[in-house]
Amino acid sequence: MAKKRDVVQVKNPKSGHYVKIDRSAGKIVSHKKSRGPYKNVPVARKKTK
Amino acid sequence: MTQLDKPIPPKVTKIRKRLKKILTRNNLKEIDAESVFTGKDFMLKIWRLLISVPLGIAIIDETMSSNTLCNIFYEVGMMHALGKETVVIKTDKAKVPSDFVRTEYINFDSDFEENIKKYFQTTFWELPDYYETIADQLDRNPLLAIDYLRRTYLITGNDKLKKKANRLLKEAAVEGRAKNSVEQLLVAF
Repeated sequence: MAKKRDVVQVKNPKSGHYVKIDRSAGKIVSHKKSRGPYKNVPVARKKTK
Repeated sequence: MTQLDKPIPPKVTKIRKRLKKILTRNNLKEIDAESVFTGKDFMLKIWRLLISVPLGIAIIDETMSSNTLCNIFYEVGMMHALGKETVVIKTDKAKVPSDFVRTEYINFDSDFEENIKKYFQTTFWELPDYYETIADQLDRNPLLAIDYLRRTYLITGNDKLKKKANRLLKEAAVEGRAKNSVEQLLVAF
């Protein structure tokens, strides 16, 4: 079984597009070409601590 | 980033005067190559200034020589390579090099102040949250995360970000590295 990736997305205020981050790899993996968020990918928020 | 040698085009002086007011309102300080005197290598000073700021504003005018424009766009390019924010302000007839035609610029016209204001409101002041969120998500890649925290710090000046960066370095267990290692240099902001 393939290992589930820990992926989140954040909106870039400069481009207005969402970027996808693979947390387990510590990498920004892609930028969405069209408007709106990626489907089924949670939107990350700033940690309070 | 603009022409500093005299004679300075009158429109550039006008732009800088109005820009300074806007920057002050945003609690930002304007600096240029003449703000610092080191008595040492000029280029080194330019590089250090570019690294130390969160935002580079290029001002171009149609009367500027190609040499001046080369210097300005060299600095804009360097800032892009360093992942810094840049804004190009141009007078009506000034032409931007073809590499920058995709870049949105701000014209010095009747909407100038409104457009600059929009830039700060809708982009610049949104960046710290974005950068910090990215840093939080990239804790498995401490170098990149610290770089994003550094970018946030340059905009906000929030000392908590330094602590956060040091915590990341500690967790990465690379504290024993030489003082001039990439990790140690990066965290020393």
